[in-house]
Amino acid sequence: MLKVSAPVGNIFLDEWSDSSKVGNFERLKISRMEMEKRILRRRTDRGTDVGLRLDSGTRLRNGDILAVGDDHQIVVEQLPERVITVRIKTGSSKETMILLGHIIGNRHRPIAIQEDTVIFPIYANSEKKVFADLFYDIIDHLELTVEDRVFSPHSGADVHGH
Amino acid sequence: MVHIPRVGIGGPVGSGKSMLIERLVPTLAQNGYSVSIISNDVISKEDADRMRDNLATKRGLLPENLVIGLATGGCPHTAVREDPSMNLSVIEEMEAEHPDLDLIIIESGGDNITTTFSPILADYFIYIIDVAGGDKYPRKGGLGIESCDLLVINKIDLAGLVGADLKVMEKDASRIRRDRPFEFINCRANEGITKVAKHIIHDVLLDARPKSEIRQRARS
Repeated sequence: MLKVSAPVGNIFLDEWSDSSKVGNFERLKISRMEMEKRILRRRTDRGTDVGLRLDSGTRLRNGDILAVGDDHQIVVEQLPERVITVRIKTGSSKETMILLGHIIGNRHRPIAIQEDTVIFPIYANSEKKVFADLFYDIIDHLELTVEDRVFSPHSGADVHGH
Repeated sequence: MVHIPRVGIGGPVGSGKSMLIERLVPTLAQNGYSVSIISNDVISKEDADRMRDNLATKRGLLPENLVIGLATGGCPHTAVREDPSMNLSVIEEMEAEHPDLDLIIIESGGDNITTTFSPILADYFIYIIDVAGGDKYPRKGGLGIESCDLLVINKIDLAGLVGADLKVMEKDASRIRRDRPFEFINCRANEGITKVAKHIIHDVLLDARPKSEIRQRARS
């Protein structure tokens, strides 16, 4: 087992952002929830047994490099998950936006915000209809789609599921 | 301060959370591991009192003061997820006063299928259900069943009596858990407990030898 107590870098940052250096990395593919863990034992896509026991205050991020030695080069890859993206149509009122935030918050979902779009995780495809019903009063101002993608919550809205 | 690995055990009322702990502690102790217990309950401390009596007073597997009962009040999941401060303060004391412990087991109060543990509180999350709830249980999913590190299905001896098909449960659990583990057990008959202990030793303790053994080796 390869023991890891802290990442040594991140492929999206600094000198590692040069993609030619990361082409041959093994990938430790884990979910967003697993990335919050301090102790985790998993195998990489090439079968290397990795035991994470992270130092206090250390939290994994997508792209973290766990090893760069001659024997192993390992990077953390966050798995995609099912999300609803809600695009707020141009010209919508502040009321619509406040109500949208209230309804999603009431379901205790973490969110990510990209310009006029709010993204949050779901646990089943059927939740698209559940949320469409919840948004009934403002649905004409919204565009809902379900997709699988890597989800990174807004730091101020990384809440528990319910 | 030393971080002692923590396993959270959650599940519905009556699924066998306390019984699983009563079986796990002796199995881990046989392998040399020192374990303490925090048992959350909404109102009473009955489960903690029973575990203290069975595991500490009668069998001497751990000191009596290392079985702590917390009466949390309100929603049981709150104390292990939204606001785990009450549990964290007990853990801080344990880590300061008993750094030689190998593991802390935290039992949640009985709750619904959306129970999860905050990753700040537990490093590993076991969700336990039982066959008496019917063989539909695994396929219905829910955050606990889907997101836990290990799903445990208890009381398999009752399957025939309640008309639950274990093969259906196994097929559904495989589908919903994908490549993550689940185990069938029967706490009352001590069946399958070793498999659960092996998951803990492998995934949480990372196969480390007990601290007492390491200390003894260092002395000799």
